[in-house]
Amino acid sequence: MIKKNIYFVPLFLAIFSFVVIAVALQLDTSPEMIVGDSMQARSFPIFLMILNLILVAVLILQFYKNQPNPIPLEKFPTWGSMILFLVFYVLTVFTDMFIGIFVVMFLMCVLWGEKRIWVALLTASITPALIFMLFDLVLKIRFPRGILTNIYYG
Amino acid sequence: MFEQAIGAMASVVVDPYLLGLIFVTTVLGVIIGVLPGLGATTGAALLLPFTLTMDPVHAIAVLATIYVSATFAGSITAILINAPGTSAAAATTFDGYPLAQKGEAGRALGIAVISSTVGGIFSVLILCFAAPLLARVAYEFRSPEYFALTVFGLSMLASISAGGAVKNLIGGIFGVWLSTIGAERVTGIERFMFGNYELYEGLHFVPIFIGLFAISELLVQSKTVDKIIKTVAMKAVKLPTKEDYKKIWKTILRSCGIGTFIGVLPAEGATVASMIGYSEARRWSKNKKEFGKGSIEGIAGAEAANNAATGGAMVPTMVLGIPGSGTTAIILVGLMVHGLRPGVYLFTEQVEKVYQIFGSMFIANVMFMLMGLYAAKIFARVSLVPTAILWPIVFALSVIGAYAFQGQLLDVWLALIFGVIGFFARRFGFSVAPIAVGLILGEMVETNLQHSLKMFDGAWWMILTQPLALMFLIFAFLGLCGPMIFSWITKQKK
Repeated sequence: MIKKNIYFVPLFLAIFSFVVIAVALQLDTSPEMIVGDSMQARSFPIFLMILNLILVAVLILQFYKNQPNPIPLEKFPTWGSMILFLVFYVLTVFTDMFIGIFVVMFLMCVLWGEKRIWVALLTASITPALIFMLFDLVLKIRFPRGILTNIYYG
Repeated sequence: MFEQAIGAMASVVVDPYLLGLIFVTTVLGVIIGVLPGLGATTGAALLLPFTLTMDPVHAIAVLATIYVSATFAGSITAILINAPGTSAAAATTFDGYPLAQKGEAGRALGIAVISSTVGGIFSVLILCFAAPLLARVAYEFRSPEYFALTVFGLSMLASISAGGAVKNLIGGIFGVWLSTIGAERVTGIERFMFGNYELYEGLHFVPIFIGLFAISELLVQSKTVDKIIKTVAMKAVKLPTKEDYKKIWKTILRSCGIGTFIGVLPAEGATVASMIGYSEARRWSKNKKEFGKGSIEGIAGAEAANNAATGGAMVPTMVLGIPGSGTTAIILVGLMVHGLRPGVYLFTEQVEKVYQIFGSMFIANVMFMLMGLYAAKIFARVSLVPTAILWPIVFALSVIGAYAFQGQLLDVWLALIFGVIGFFARRFGFSVAPIAVGLILGEMVETNLQHSLKMFDGAWWMILTQPLALMFLIFAFLGLCGPMIFSWITKQKK
């Protein structure tokens, strides 16, 4: 029996290649006097995607021959961590980058199985503070303005 | 030239700041190496933003030290807990862990330390002699030769990791495509920017690499939160005895040669070197039956080869701008960020800096030997840091590091996006190293193709009339199709 879901990856790659080719075909063309005997800006990405499509065809052939096992779904910590990246985005944009880091680090510690809340809290507060000091005082890097950094920078 | 090289290398010893930096980085490299999942590549990606404000030599010395020390340190956990800290130490588990289970963990580590140091120092010496010679050859290169060379480098991606040739090449092509994002260099036409002018100069390597290597590894490690680690007791690291040396010296020398040669090949790295070093040690051994049960030749073969590959991989990186592995791709980015243009220029205009970097690598090898011999037991304990604490710290370092590169939040989002892309790529059996190497080589291959076409008035086939270019293209063809042709011939013979 053919395992249909293993073809999801080649299908995705093929669609991706066609989308890139379609977008590349919309790119502007330069006048002959600039390009001369060289290539238009669209040519190289299109060439790459044609190569990609050939390789995808070979991949499909390999899958058809070898029938690799479908990959099981990930556990909650993996999906949870990705959701935490979104939480980090929202908190950084609307509050402060360091609030985002603190919240995400704390939740990540807990999500990954740290049962001692005080350890998670300490990790989430001390690490960004130390990194902030290092980058701000030693490497002289200014961080984006937010609720906490406004207090620090004044 | 020779005196200048010796002088520059010796200057490292009398620079207390650089020595201190190498010492601290070696400690950090060993810690990174023993932490499962945090290999040399992830470590270098995380440290890259910290080096931005440093002097170029110091910055590259830091990255190179991380490379050599973390590559070695992977063997500590490979021997003590059967979990290679880096993929390059995977072959060390075959005999290292069985020997440790027999109660000889100290001896196994001693063999690993000495073999790694000899391998590392051997490759640095080869690097010192081979790199300037290769640079002289590279002096003759024009656009067609560079184009063919980058095609050869990209073809070698087929075997950069265990993902399979086709998947690696798809990854490489994706990386090359990423390099086309932004304004095209000749015409200025915007490609795949979708109105985002922060991408006008293209995708910057630093946030992409942090995403591909550090964030994606974080997501991969999230699958191992329930993993229970069994440790093996160890009293102290033992130096090999005379009998041991008699048994392994030939293996070490062979693996030094193998490792350095494989390292020099574009896109091949320490992991491939250690596997071949191990299998060759077994092939030439008189005690084949001991392999897999705690053979010291097996440990020496794998360890000498993986550390010899570090120096070897620096040759194409510094001379041709073609990285030999994921870690050297990051070192190459470090060179570029600090205005050290890899290639002939580096070996003619900035010889002193080049040899200072080589000298730093030499000292790093000696330092990790001392640490391996006297502090391996302490470092091994670091591997027991709970993942629930370690990886949130990696997250913080990654996002702040990505931001610090240019002071742009876009870089942080790019790091996170590429972390997720890298994770899904790995989940479906694609390695991220070809994407990184493709991204670096992408600009080179397109620009040199454009220049070649202009040189020959659009007649692309004229590239084949250039002897060196033709040679590289034949190598690329053989690299891609050689295994298929060979297996077809073997089938026909049968």
